[in-house]
Amino acid sequence: MIDSQNITRTLFEDFRPLAVTLFYGVGFTAIGIFLWGTWIQVRKYRRGTGYAIQGTLAARFGDMVGSVLSHRTVWRRDHAAGGAHGLIFFGFALLFIGTSTITLEFDILQPLFGVRFWYGSFYLWFSLVLDVAGVMLTVGLLYMMYRRGWLKPPKLDYARPDRSPADPDFDRTAYRIEDWAFLWTLLVIAITGFVLEAARLVWLEGRPEVWDFRWWSPAGAVMTYGLQGLGVTAAVAGQLRTGLWWFHGLLALAFIALIPFTKIKHIFTAGASLMFRDPLASQRLPRVPESQAAPGYQYITDLNWKQLLNLDACTKCGKCHEACPARATGAPLSPRDVILSLREFANKSLASGTLPDKAELDIHGKNPGQVAMETLWSCRTCMACVEICPVAVEHVPIIVQMRRKLVESGDMDPLLAKTLQTIHKTGNSFGESKRKRPAWTKSLPFTIKDARKEPVDYLWFVGDYASFDPRNQKVSQTFATLLREAGVDFGLLYEGESNAGNDVRRVGEEGLYEVLADSNVKAMSEATFKRVVTTDPHSYNTIRNEYPDFGGRYEIEHYTTLLRVLLEVGRLKISRPLNYRVTFHDPCHLGRFNKGYEAPREILKLLGCELIEMGRCRANSFCCGAGGGRIWIADPVGVEKPSQNRIREAAVIDGLQVYVVSCPKDLTMFEDALKTTGNEGRFVVRELIELVREAVAVPADVAVALGGE
Amino acid sequence: MKILVAIKQVASLEDDFEIRADGRDVDPDFLVRDLNEWDEYSLEEAVKIKEAGADVAVVAVSVGPEQADEALRKCLAKGADRAVRVWENAVAGSDSIAIARIVAAVARREKADLIFAGVQSSDHSFASTGTAIAGFLDWPHAAVINQLGYVAGATRAEVRRELEGGVLQLMEIDCPAVLTIQLGINAPRYASLRSIKQAAAKPIETLSLADIGLSSADVGEAGSLSRVRRMYVPAKGRAQMIEGTPAEQAARLAAIIKEFRGAGA
Repeated sequence: MIDSQNITRTLFEDFRPLAVTLFYGVGFTAIGIFLWGTWIQVRKYRRGTGYAIQGTLAARFGDMVGSVLSHRTVWRRDHAAGGAHGLIFFGFALLFIGTSTITLEFDILQPLFGVRFWYGSFYLWFSLVLDVAGVMLTVGLLYMMYRRGWLKPPKLDYARPDRSPADPDFDRTAYRIEDWAFLWTLLVIAITGFVLEAARLVWLEGRPEVWDFRWWSPAGAVMTYGLQGLGVTAAVAGQLRTGLWWFHGLLALAFIALIPFTKIKHIFTAGASLMFRDPLASQRLPRVPESQAAPGYQYITDLNWKQLLNLDACTKCGKCHEACPARATGAPLSPRDVILSLREFANKSLASGTLPDKAELDIHGKNPGQVAMETLWSCRTCMACVEICPVAVEHVPIIVQMRRKLVESGDMDPLLAKTLQTIHKTGNSFGESKRKRPAWTKSLPFTIKDARKEPVDYLWFVGDYASFDPRNQKVSQTFATLLREAGVDFGLLYEGESNAGNDVRRVGEEGLYEVLADSNVKAMSEATFKRVVTTDPHSYNTIRNEYPDFGGRYEIEHYTTLLRVLLEVGRLKISRPLNYRVTFHDPCHLGRFNKGYEAPREILKLLGCELIEMGRCRANSFCCGAGGGRIWIADPVGVEKPSQNRIREAAVIDGLQVYVVSCPKDLTMFEDALKTTGNEGRFVVRELIELVREAVAVPADVAVALGGE
Repeated sequence: MKILVAIKQVASLEDDFEIRADGRDVDPDFLVRDLNEWDEYSLEEAVKIKEAGADVAVVAVSVGPEQADEALRKCLAKGADRAVRVWENAVAGSDSIAIARIVAAVARREKADLIFAGVQSSDHSFASTGTAIAGFLDWPHAAVINQLGYVAGATRAEVRRELEGGVLQLMEIDCPAVLTIQLGINAPRYASLRSIKQAAAKPIETLSLADIGLSSADVGEAGSLSRVRRMYVPAKGRAQMIEGTPAEQAARLAAIIKEFRGAGA
């Protein structure tokens, strides 16, 4: 009978005391380098400005742990890589925890308290679990190598749309070398671990307390046959064990020492980034503090510490690169490159003990690490990058902050500058006089209440496009008629309404946004209503998420939720099911920004439409290209626009009849793209409101009924 | 040195405007006011000289009631160092020459070294204030400048003028001088709302006629040699919309063109 105390591994067996001391020396050096490197990184982050953590720390921590353990964010839109990453992550984590238990007993509990637990069944289970973990790690790593080496997904080619090959920071070879070095290092650590295990088994094959329990380390046990087959004797195996032990150990320690200086740091920075994420990162942009001398970000030190941390969290996975509509249509912008440029910049300028001159901290421009204004102006603030980032990098707020600086110095498209001046002068982007805002109501056979003069249940915030654009005016008239028929008590602000400011804010003209928000909050404070409804997702977003910072707290809904209820409770009755084959385009500001995915789809179902989803739908909806003020900037000629790219995606749907939108800007963008892509006549672009109108009964005596109110 | 930039708050018409009861102007309720477009360029040109490094003060001057402060603030936001506004009720009714008399008086008081003005104002289009200022000061002037070579403090400026038929004229002019600036000479900067708000904190100096050594006899209708008699919209012309399908419209249009060509042949 073997004493279970003997079923264990004798640490440093046959080592001379000097060797053990040497090993500890190397170990402490590695930890020292790790801590020093960590301090350098932390010092770098501390050079950013302040950031208030959103929500309680406990809630943030819980959310982070949930994201990390579920691997949800890594898995999304790339299941194979996500799964492989999960194998590596959990394999690595188990190996790390397992190895730590050795330290726990050998260096802490046993010397201090004489407590031992690392023997017997605990040891056997430890062996088994770590072997499985090692296999998981190896399999994950091999898949990642296969992916990089053979599958070569385009998002990993690191091609930069914002630089030309002649630029000094175009070349990304260093990143590629690091990627491969990372994989190989881990793989070599894993494989030498197994061989080491096998060598030890062969070396100690004479001890039953080792050999008889070899199958508790199945991977090592299998390899013993290989070693024995090669004629390795116990004595040779002993020598092999010593050599491999040092190689494996030193490599693992080097790995630890290198964590703060290489991509390995994402083990920590990714978790921290997820922990400190701002759940409203792009829905609600930050105000410019009164104390701030100049608006926006000009210097790397203007970024807040969480954003500097974001830069280091990026793993270059390319999900944002893939999702970005600007990048997809050839604009000089990849969200990943913005982050990597700034990261390179921060590492260069913030790594030493003293800060360089201000001039060397300027992040605007075309030098290595700087971001060009063409890049910043290419962004449509659609939030696709922020939404998909597995490690909670928040690109868009950084881009908008940098634009604020550009706006302040006037570095923008002349057309955009003109539009901003127009909005300032007239309160709308169409340059129409304020008194023409409600002109679209004149052709209605009834008068809409003026919410400034009499109380209403619903205040309808119309927005610029729905008020002034002739095509969208028709939709507004239809929506008004539907509300009227459903007996909804609603009113408008009439001339009192101004541009909601959502896009002005995303352009980066914060001063003008403040004027617009204050003006609308004031106008709304003078009206009496219970809720707000709007057909414009842009207005919806800013009123819902940003007006509270300006003292305007309202219950607001997008029209899709209101119409759904009216249809469900029968206040609008469907007399004519439509039977159309349709597809639905999720507006960025309704879908990704505010998670309004279901209501429009349920309405389509109620109308009897057959909904065929496009490949990119819901959270992955593809921006029409109008966001972030880009609707006021001409797109380059002769290059595919995002809206055309999108219409082509819809056009492959067999038998498609209607491309359904639920946003005024979408209607404008896609009706145009339908024509310019030559799809006119094949299918039509319609506002969901128009489909509802088509399906809903119009009683012959509707005029009488309305008159009777 | 000091560059004086004469600026005007102009009015543009809203749709469906109405003429004032006395028939001599548009009802102010229907006017949208803004800085004259030409003045954006002349101010930018002055600020550019200032930013080139030398010790230059840019002073924006306007003649108008309090509401003109908004246009002056925009100038402050875009880089003017000071803003001066001259007004008294007596100034109402001044023609462009009387306005020039006022600006010239300010220029004397300010000891300006160079004066910029827009070629014309977008609302009244007299295109005479700038050159008249030169007349009152007995300074040389050059009009419709679309390129300026001037270093602060120099006694001479090189200017390129835009003439009819696409002809350009290069000339040099002794300073002090009055230069009227054409659109397109530069790219006027954007005044962010933040800079406009900050400019709101800067004072706008208001001067009376007495401050600049003029009296009510020099301005208003009394000081003007021309007066507005009537402002009106002529009766609608005989334009006719061509109705029908695109093909019908094209056919009708072709017929009309043939008819006219036939008549001319």
